[in-house]
Amino acid sequence: MKPFPLCCVRAVIVKEFRQIRRDALSLMFLVFLPGFMLLLFGYALNFDIKHIPLAVVDEDGSRASRDLVDKFRTTEYFDLKAVLPKTAAIDPILAREDVRAALVIPAQFADDLTAGRSPSVQVIVDGSNAMSGTTAAGYVGAILQSYSQRITLRGLARRGFTDVALPLATEVRVWYNPELRSAKFLVPGLMAFILMVIVTVSTAFSVVREKERGTMDQIRVSSIRPMELILGKIIPYVAISLGSAHLVLLLGEVLFGVGIRGSYPLLLLAMVLFVTGALGQGLLISTITRTQQVAFLLAVLTTMLPTFILSGFVFPLRNMPPVVQAVTYLVPGRYFLAALRAIILKGAGLGAIWNQLLFLAVFAVLSIGTSAVRLGKGEKERPRRRRRGGA
Amino acid sequence: MKAILSIIWKEFVQLRRDPRLFPVLFVSPILQLLLLGYAANLDVREIPSVVCDMDQSAASRDLLGRFVNSGYFTIRARVGRMEDIDPFLDNGKAAMAFVMPRGFGDKLAGGSQASVMIIADGAESQSATIGVNYATMIAGRYAQRVILDRFERIRGGGMKPVLVNAEVRVWYNPELRSRNFMVPGVFGLILMIMTMSLASMGIVREKEAGTMEQLIVTPIRPHQLIIGKLLPFVFIGLVEATFVLIIARGWFGVPIRGSVALLYVLCLAFMLNTLGFGLFISTISRTQQQAMFTTTFFIMPMMLLGGFVFPIENMPRFFQVVSHAVPTRYFFIIIRGIMLRGAGWPELWDQAASLAGLGVLILALSVLRFHKKLD
Amino acid sequence: MPELAIEVRSLSKRFGDFIAVDAVSFDVDRGRIFGFLGANGAGKSTTIRMLCGLLDPTSGTATVGGFDIRREPERVKCVIGYMSQKFSLYEDLTVAENIRFFGGAYGLSKKDLDQRARWVLEMAGLKGRERSLTRTLSVGWKQRLALGCAVLHEPRIVFLDEPTGGVDPASRRRFWELINDLSERGITVFVTTHYLDEAEYCNDIRLIHAGRIVAGGSPQELKTQVIRNPILEVEADRTVEAMEVLQKEPWVLETSIFGTSLHVSVGDEGEGRRLVLDRLGREGIAVRRVDRIIPSLEDVFIHKIEEHTKAGVAEEARS
Repeated sequence: MKPFPLCCVRAVIVKEFRQIRRDALSLMFLVFLPGFMLLLFGYALNFDIKHIPLAVVDEDGSRASRDLVDKFRTTEYFDLKAVLPKTAAIDPILAREDVRAALVIPAQFADDLTAGRSPSVQVIVDGSNAMSGTTAAGYVGAILQSYSQRITLRGLARRGFTDVALPLATEVRVWYNPELRSAKFLVPGLMAFILMVIVTVSTAFSVVREKERGTMDQIRVSSIRPMELILGKIIPYVAISLGSAHLVLLLGEVLFGVGIRGSYPLLLLAMVLFVTGALGQGLLISTITRTQQVAFLLAVLTTMLPTFILSGFVFPLRNMPPVVQAVTYLVPGRYFLAALRAIILKGAGLGAIWNQLLFLAVFAVLSIGTSAVRLGKGEKERPRRRRRGGA
Repeated sequence: MKAILSIIWKEFVQLRRDPRLFPVLFVSPILQLLLLGYAANLDVREIPSVVCDMDQSAASRDLLGRFVNSGYFTIRARVGRMEDIDPFLDNGKAAMAFVMPRGFGDKLAGGSQASVMIIADGAESQSATIGVNYATMIAGRYAQRVILDRFERIRGGGMKPVLVNAEVRVWYNPELRSRNFMVPGVFGLILMIMTMSLASMGIVREKEAGTMEQLIVTPIRPHQLIIGKLLPFVFIGLVEATFVLIIARGWFGVPIRGSVALLYVLCLAFMLNTLGFGLFISTISRTQQQAMFTTTFFIMPMMLLGGFVFPIENMPRFFQVVSHAVPTRYFFIIIRGIMLRGAGWPELWDQAASLAGLGVLILALSVLRFHKKLD
Repeated sequence: MPELAIEVRSLSKRFGDFIAVDAVSFDVDRGRIFGFLGANGAGKSTTIRMLCGLLDPTSGTATVGGFDIRREPERVKCVIGYMSQKFSLYEDLTVAENIRFFGGAYGLSKKDLDQRARWVLEMAGLKGRERSLTRTLSVGWKQRLALGCAVLHEPRIVFLDEPTGGVDPASRRRFWELINDLSERGITVFVTTHYLDEAEYCNDIRLIHAGRIVAGGSPQELKTQVIRNPILEVEADRTVEAMEVLQKEPWVLETSIFGTSLHVSVGDEGEGRRLVLDRLGREGIAVRRVDRIIPSLEDVFIHKIEEHTKAGVAEEARS
């Protein structure tokens, strides 16, 4: 009878640490790759949609139309790529994605203006890139609006009405992210995404590798219980992953100014739960596959796209159809990201994120528990392979 | 020739033997597509908002009414004081707030400038920007209206105010259905992840198992070995592509306006790249574990820097240059072009050439690195 | 086909600072069974791998089957068969599938392949097990299958790297019958092993230690010509203690334990016998038997290794 339930965990932990230390490459990967990726993508990516490539067809050619074209040339929201002679030329370059929007100024533009009629300008937007499509339309609208207002006021001024004020001033206040710097939005999302992928992949072949090499038999023969094995495997990885996560946090603060506003202990708790869950997922994958190849494919497929798309990183969860929203409950990145944003940006306390932490805890327990069950069940799979050839 | 066929035959036998590989290869792409195709909805609507009307005049209710009726915002609560807004934004129950200060109506009626405050939760800067844009547009139109009204009162001068209208036409995806945007992207990503992983792992597994040693001691030439190993993955990639296209078209109703044949040809060009990268990874990895790490290291940039979600023109110059070495950059343009815009060879020849060129380069580099030696 | 199947001249392999194979030279006659004997890590596998074209030598030359291993490695591969130390066939393929695959890899026509496949199955005793997954075979059968696949294309030279590792004695015997069979057909067999009893089955042996060849010749030559000093086999209680005692004596040249008895190398037989009985008697260790024996290959081996090690130490002391 074993002295006490979890006594052998220490032995497994020591073995795992030794193995990890010897496998320097894996260690490098787990510790530095997340930080490196944050560095890379933190600089490369942003959510501001600017420099939308634009083409203009000026059928009017008047001073007024050239004036309008200038507005589009000088704004940073658009990149004027081409001034085309006729509308027929739009199709091919739009199809090639050389430009994503086109402006057509009709021939009577200036005439309409002077006559006091309201001219229409055609805006063609590439809908296949829905992200910039809506935004582009919005920008155009805003630019035209400000152009209209200026014309109106100029006209009034010429008639001597110089003290016509703009009737409405809109004061915009953005809380938590005052300059609407997308880094503050991007970095937490990147952090959740990168950590999820790398941590899960790291553990996904931990058990399978032993199965493939045959050392699994050695372990089964010993008196280690499945839960001990799992805890022993996970604890070193949790420690290392936390180190890695802190590196990412540090980089986020130093390079991108995304600092922690809220309570650090709370953040630590969230990180521990999240990392444990991710490790559990990797471990679970490891117990249900037989080859490292499949384990890797499964790990990548269940983390990359789902976390990227369903965690709320880029696409707002609120807008997804109910079925998909239900599925997002299975994505631990979702909870972690919500908790991260709340803590980092809003300085939220336990009251605001207790439900996220709860879900993370549940996920961690489920993934680790299922792995333990499967490891124990593995005993029954052995007899099948015992068909010996005999000597 | 016989050697190549032998290797291809062996690969298929092995693939069939692994019971888990099959579902992962063919079922999971379908699942992913079904799930993710619906996920992205970039039209931001019904942003939960809080209204704080401290004026309670006809004018303030008028403007607030415009916000509400626009469809962009749903009102979660009406409060009387600014401080009451805090809890809603803090807890994420609302993402925006509109505040009408006292005296709004009077100022407007008196011909002076009134102000309205728009508060947004920047923690979701995506929605915040869009929400603020909507709100500013609505306020702007309201302001135009006020100008017009005042103008009529002023009379005289014979000037009519000017409004330049924008007639927006959305091409290729008129209802701006986000699945039309997502599905091509997810298609490319799945194809990339699958084929690259298979290629990198497939060769390294033999190294690790020791069977590679037995292989290279035979007179099989390196190019025969490579072709034999990679061709099955080309086949698998094409089958997956077909499944994805069927679902895209049949289930999601994403159009395929261009030539399907061209699409397949360019998928092949894309796979030149992914398999080439996979092969390269296998030449620098000794164990499957190393191969996995390196593959992950390559997959992530290909996913994020290819212009799928984050437009390349928004990236710093350095990354724009680097993205020329990322095959997904060309492939996404090609896929969107063929599927949604009916683009053909005349429009896409340069993307295709870049894609093929890059693929050949990577493949050649990898083949050069591949020696029939143990060290 | 040249008389010399394999010619090796000063072949060396260096991994960084570590010299795995240090300027080895030897010749292998056609149709002989050539044994490469040595402990693990002595350089046997590295040598084989160089000769098969799996590793590039750091220096030196070798011809296998008439082809230079550096300049024409692919032609070498056409005329050789290779069986690696670690089982290297596909575990997830059946016996028949493995045979079929390697037949295809060697470019055998369908007719030839069928014929050879039948031969291999017969030789390996695997008739009726064609559909078994290779993974399910016991080690002995796996080795025989691997040998079969190595000779599918009827090579003139076969390289076997520790082919009987982990196999029971009966299977080992059977395996060597197969090797003899190949040799009788005129195929040159180059085998490495650390089993000294297997070395007895070879026509020609080289002893390799720390990357260098320390002795060579037929088993008979090695046993009679290498060791000049008589060897006494001593059976006593407390063998280990006895060895420790005798080791310290100046008139004892070498001692080693063989099973439950002690092999003691002395200068003179009669004198040695007296001294042994005397010395051990003083310790109160009862001696049951002292006989002179013909040195076994193991004796030769150990003697040569110690000689080589001492020479190496002296060399280091001098430098």
